[in-house]
Amino acid sequence: MTGWVEAIIKIIEWPPLWQLVVLGLIAPLAVVIYILWFERKTAARVQRRIGPYHVSPRIAGGLQLLADLIRYSFQEVIIPKTVDKAAFISAPLIALILSILPVVAIPFTDVPKWFPLPMDYSLILALALVTLSPLFIIVAGWASNNKFAIIGGMREAYLIVSYEIIAILSFLAATAMTGTYNLVDIVHAQTGWKWFIVLNPLAFFTAFVGVLLSTSGFPFEIAESEHEVVAGAFTEYSGLMYGINMGAAYLKRMIYSLLLTVVFLGGWYPLKPGEGFIWGYLAPSIVIFIKATILMMIFSFFRAVYGRYRLDQAIEIAWKILFPLTVIAFGLGLLEAYYGII
Amino acid sequence: MSGIVRGTVGFNDLKLPGAWTRKIGKDLYEVFIGPQHPGSGHMRIIIRVDGDIIVEAEPDMGYVHRTMEKLSEVRTWIKSIPLFERMAIHDACNVTLPYVRAVEKLLGIEAPERAKYLRVLLCEINRIAAFLYGFGIFGVFLGHSTMYMWPFGDREVWVELAEWLTGARLTHTYPVFGGVRRDVPAGFTDALRKAIRYMRRRLEDYRKIFVDNPVIRSRLEGVGYIPRNLAIELGITGPNLRASGVKYDVRMNHPYEVYDQLDFEIPVFQEGDAYARVLQRVEEIKQSLRILEQVADWLDKHERSPILHDRFWKTAPPLYKKVFQEQGRAKLMAVYAILKVPKGKAYERGETARGEISYYVESDGKNTPYRVRIHSASARNALVYKYILPGHRVMDLPAIYGSIDYFPPEADR
Repeated sequence: MTGWVEAIIKIIEWPPLWQLVVLGLIAPLAVVIYILWFERKTAARVQRRIGPYHVSPRIAGGLQLLADLIRYSFQEVIIPKTVDKAAFISAPLIALILSILPVVAIPFTDVPKWFPLPMDYSLILALALVTLSPLFIIVAGWASNNKFAIIGGMREAYLIVSYEIIAILSFLAATAMTGTYNLVDIVHAQTGWKWFIVLNPLAFFTAFVGVLLSTSGFPFEIAESEHEVVAGAFTEYSGLMYGINMGAAYLKRMIYSLLLTVVFLGGWYPLKPGEGFIWGYLAPSIVIFIKATILMMIFSFFRAVYGRYRLDQAIEIAWKILFPLTVIAFGLGLLEAYYGII
Repeated sequence: MSGIVRGTVGFNDLKLPGAWTRKIGKDLYEVFIGPQHPGSGHMRIIIRVDGDIIVEAEPDMGYVHRTMEKLSEVRTWIKSIPLFERMAIHDACNVTLPYVRAVEKLLGIEAPERAKYLRVLLCEINRIAAFLYGFGIFGVFLGHSTMYMWPFGDREVWVELAEWLTGARLTHTYPVFGGVRRDVPAGFTDALRKAIRYMRRRLEDYRKIFVDNPVIRSRLEGVGYIPRNLAIELGITGPNLRASGVKYDVRMNHPYEVYDQLDFEIPVFQEGDAYARVLQRVEEIKQSLRILEQVADWLDKHERSPILHDRFWKTAPPLYKKVFQEQGRAKLMAVYAILKVPKGKAYERGETARGEISYYVESDGKNTPYRVRIHSASARNALVYKYILPGHRVMDLPAIYGSIDYFPPEADR
């Protein structure tokens, strides 16, 4: 009997499974569900409403999102006759997979035994994987054969060109500071509260706004803004497919938050990974997830405060303000490395 | 149909009855905004875009046409009041008042002074509620969900006041020929003053979160600019006209009821863009609050007196008069049901929240109108889309649509 339990624990502990399924899918999904509830609840608080309540009033409507999820799962998925079927169905699924895939390159511990991949070029790998998923949103818009979907897809395309370079460059400022692409080394460089958010706040700011831009958070909720393009590239989707599309954006934001945590917020510090599964892997993961969740909460609070920018304004902000700031942040990182502050 | 679906190759070759095609410019993309689009009301704007720039725009109205003018010809005079209210239910008193006044003109009567003050009271309450309604819609068009919820919540204050005064939240049917239906209940003016104080405080909150919000400002400044001469040429009206620098308000230029005895200003902005229209509405709410304060003072100073013209009041049974003295309620007399209006033509206008509304009423001496012609503010304002949308980006459409505060049921009648 004990043999079975040990075997199951071994399988769960197996880094690819733990990292991909538990840390990559289940935990972000749980966080996303919590964040959606939090977003609705804070917005309601600001707007002097109650927010989700009727499903499970005792825990302040906490199960509302699960109820929504169940409803989405049982809703009929309508596939219009005019769409390109193969692309229409596959695009959101690929986008979902690609938006959680970068988690394989994010270290949740510094014990090499628990790495799913060698971590030598993990930062560049994570950034490369993160930037893939929006392409499939464009594909989804194009395959839908709907004017609003195509406009939404094109908006996404416009936004990609403006945020991608900002997001990548501001994350790479950490590389400029430490001279390595290894995320574990980047975390190690932040020991003793030398978090990169303190050393290079500019890079954190640009990365933060870049993430907002890329995951269509307010005030950059442009590609699927309801009052112009209905639901953007997802206009023709229904049921679970629509849920996947919406969830993918939040999962992507979660992955970005994890990356922000590792690069700028000191990763698993103040905790030091120790021996064994619990202290070596589980506890650091929890620390990173808590930090990322706080970031997510900040992201979602903007919904209650801001409206949305116009597309051209967002692109203008990205190129005229954020891009120079990013270059300055990168230079700041190089200077700090040169003078040995790191 | 033979399996060919709309939007695919071959559909346009089908010569179906009613299926018509037309050429649009090369490289233009035609998008139908509405009538079932989250960014439009019950109307359609056909836009043709070149890239992200709108090249042509055609407002297509009439989706909620309810034949009100024709229906009024088969209803007795009093029954047309609840009918016309349906044009803009949250602005019911303003919308029906000119009709009531036109019929009063034909009857040759005038409401007693107290009734006039009460009409102004409800008019301004309605005006504020309608502005808040417009703000809410505008906020959500710009993606600002807080500005959607706040004005809709604060509108409740005014709707409740109106309910306390008239018995109905929205379709009050308050002004009737020769007066109004009810007097103010006890303690009403205190609640009114409290609401005024509350609203002033809330306007400050709106300023902080919406009007001075950098994102909102960058969305609205310079967008949807209506030049002064275009505004006059198109005959647009209301706050939109005044935000373009024309000082015209029916309450001031052609005073009705007791507006000439009240102290208020007509705010005017010169910029003419969407942001000026927002500021214009905020200022108008402030002026309405000022008017309400004065009305509350007047009502406090004056004793309860008949609120209907003597012609109707003298037919009231003693019980009606007793109930009125005690509770302020006046039941409509039977004479309203069989009212016959003398032959003649009358024209009246009034200022609703969205602009000037005018009624032409013709009577041939029967118990129904011969003809009622309504020219509502939204119908006049809707034209402006055709002229100011081209040149803007697609994302400006909700900003401009919301800033005009267009209300389809009022335009379609």
